[in-house]
Amino acid sequence: MAIRHGLLALLSQGPRYGYQLRSEFEASTGAIWPLNIGQVYTTLSRLERDGLVAPGEQDAQGRVVYTITEAGRAEMERWLSTPVARSDRPRDELVVKLAMAVAAGADPRPVIRAQRTATMRALQELTRAMAGAEGPAQRLVLDSMVFQAEAEQRWLDHCEAVLAASPRTQETPQAPRFPEPGSGPFPDEEF
Amino acid sequence: MSVDPVVRLADVTRVHGDGPQAVPALRGVSLDVAAGELVAVMGPSGSGKSTLLNLAGGLDAPTSGEVTVEGTPLSGLSAKELAALRRRRVGYVFQDLNLIPSLTAAENVMLPRELDGVRARQARSEAVEILAEIGITEPGRFPDELSGGQRQRVAIARALVGGRRLILADEPTGALDTPTGDDVLRLLRARCDAGAAVLLVTHEPRYAAWADRVVFLCDGEVADSTAAPLESAR
Repeated sequence: MAIRHGLLALLSQGPRYGYQLRSEFEASTGAIWPLNIGQVYTTLSRLERDGLVAPGEQDAQGRVVYTITEAGRAEMERWLSTPVARSDRPRDELVVKLAMAVAAGADPRPVIRAQRTATMRALQELTRAMAGAEGPAQRLVLDSMVFQAEAEQRWLDHCEAVLAASPRTQETPQAPRFPEPGSGPFPDEEF
Repeated sequence: MSVDPVVRLADVTRVHGDGPQAVPALRGVSLDVAAGELVAVMGPSGSGKSTLLNLAGGLDAPTSGEVTVEGTPLSGLSAKELAALRRRRVGYVFQDLNLIPSLTAAENVMLPRELDGVRARQARSEAVEILAEIGITEPGRFPDELSGGQRQRVAIARALVGGRRLILADEPTGALDTPTGDDVLRLLRARCDAGAAVLLVTHEPRYAAWADRVVFLCDGEVADSTAAPLESAR
């Protein structure tokens, strides 16, 4: 991923200078993904090497305007039409932390509680940021973060319910096992 | 903030039944909601969320502890005084709206004022005014001619009419899709910023996140709470 594809997408709207690409990228993603100008130029030179963009002449201030090539358009289309694989995402530290808390025989409930409160604070901040979102691109980026935080909260609620229904989980000192068939600890809980 | 809270629960306990069958629904919960504040209550089913809301609005009485609404302790009130306080000071917004289908939006909003003895003409002009404030410009429509989001707006207008500033909202976004649910929260937030106090029960983190403070209930106790209101430029 995907600075290169982001830059291609912006260039598909017309030729741009490097500094323009940087500010447009940040405006679209709501500055959750700040780029430094060095990253922009490094990426542009790789895109140029791969034949996906073409630089124009330097102007009087030494600035170069970049244009997307046909191959660049094709690459952008390919990127847009390819679903993101779940495995491309980094491992979630929280999941590992909770699993390890249970495995180590520690009480996972304080971990759940502390995380839920912290994530709720983050969600409150995102919601405030949403009120000041500029344009639909930024809004959708924030929405995505809201939905992710929400999913985490739901998962934490679920963990708590499962653990509450299965006291064994809190006391088992040895390595965790997968539940035997028919001993599912899932309570009647609507989701 | 040293202002008196609009609603205060002080060490409130509510036990259902007695003897060996006694089930505590709330255990020693203290909670203030000030004017301008939106407080969300979250927690699993059976954690005491709805009990808390019912106590805050005087629909139920605590087994011990005290609930105070705008400076008036509820324990000292007669049933009649309590009913009057509920009508004049407290607005409810529920998941299933409870709009009366044979009445127009305006008539639904007028209803609590007319019950309170306000003349129809004045009640109507109050209703039309508050409906306009929250974006309902056709007060003559019937509930089934409105979208789900608009119906919830009417319910919020009905909760606010007559200068009430305590709103108790129980899953007000229940059947709505997320953009419409967000609109309902945006409206509640705006009413808070205009001086109302809102106590919101929800199981949806995305809506709780509009609050200044989120309180997590577990087994009838406050398990955790996000920090005091952040200073923010809203």
